[in-house]
Amino acid sequence: MESATQTSCLRCIERPDRLFCHLPAEALKAFDALKSTIECTKGDVLFREGSPCIGVFVLCEGRARLSVCSESGSRLTLRIAAPGEMLGLSACLAGSHYGMTAELLDSSRVATMKYNDLMTFLREHEDACMQVVNLLSQDLHYAYERVRAVGLGKHRRARSLTVN
Amino acid sequence: MISPYGLDIVESCLTCKTRSERLFCDLPAPALQAFEGIKYATAYPKGAVLFVEGQAPRGIFVLCKGRVKLSICSTDGKTLIVKIAEPGEVLGLSASVSGKPYELTAETIDPCQVNFVKREDFLRFLRDHADACFRVAEQLSEKYNAACHEVRSLGLSHSAGEKLAKLLLEWSSKNGEATKMEPRLKLALTHEEIAQMIGTSRETVTRLFADLKKRQIVQSKGSTLIIRNKTALRMIATNN
Repeated sequence: MESATQTSCLRCIERPDRLFCHLPAEALKAFDALKSTIECTKGDVLFREGSPCIGVFVLCEGRARLSVCSESGSRLTLRIAAPGEMLGLSACLAGSHYGMTAELLDSSRVATMKYNDLMTFLREHEDACMQVVNLLSQDLHYAYERVRAVGLGKHRRARSLTVN
Repeated sequence: MISPYGLDIVESCLTCKTRSERLFCDLPAPALQAFEGIKYATAYPKGAVLFVEGQAPRGIFVLCKGRVKLSICSTDGKTLIVKIAEPGEVLGLSASVSGKPYELTAETIDPCQVNFVKREDFLRFLRDHADACFRVAEQLSEKYNAACHEVRSLGLSHSAGEKLAKLLLEWSSKNGEATKMEPRLKLALTHEEIAQMIGTSRETVTRLFADLKKRQIVQSKGSTLIIRNKTALRMIATNN
């Protein structure tokens, strides 16, 4: 079956529906030239919590579980990322290690961009930078919702998203 | 100019001496000039509410002086303090960008100077000034990382004691105290507020502090807390 998403972002028909991908022509061309596309299988880990940030991952197809881990190995799911989301962005912009683990829940197609390329791309393309600000604002909303659920919800609810 | 709250108000960002040390404020000259034209410098007393969770976003608040308590509330009135914002932070940022209601309530815990910018002006400013847009992305990233850290701390700690130990170690790692054998920290919050930071009751926090003191892990001198046994506190924090 032919996929709606393509190796080249320029031919992807899903692009207009996706917050980051819906870029002006010039920024899109630049992004397409800098990114690489990889095919991944279910269970692959895109990045692990605590590992140095190497770049960002855009989910073209498939979903990913974003989770954090305690010292004792308990895992807490932050949320499930959907196609079109850019992962690892906050770590890149903060210049820090990845603050969570991203594990694929489906066979997926993922576009990756290296840290240095991302920084150059965002500095050269104001529209893309604004998209990133929008994405991060949305991520922050989800994160605060999670803080509320975990910190103020009933214990049973918080634990229900904990897996070992 | 001295304000009624004893604050030395900095009217213009162009002459602010602390600008260079602050992530958002250290903007290139053209962006800074533009920001100067859209911001309103205001002073607030301790206990003033800048915005309330659920309220439609009016704009952003750049905290110039003082500290602000950021909290969320459950429907049954339980409060959780998410963060104590320090000078240089931009508050109400994600809500102003997305147009969704403020996710948090912001209340001053000191007399504060705040630069307010209306939402429409701020969004236009971001579109016109790429450098400022990049700084905002960096600020949002930091806030997002801090929120995820908060989720981890609240969701994966097994006991209130573990959460309190983590909080004390986190505070002691600031202000150059991290490498000291017996770090000191100024307890600027009440037991009630500390309880709201770790999602427990005031009584539990008081009991936990009494226990830590009894075991000589911490010692208090007025509002200063000295961590006498960092190793033991770390053991509690890691649930060992």
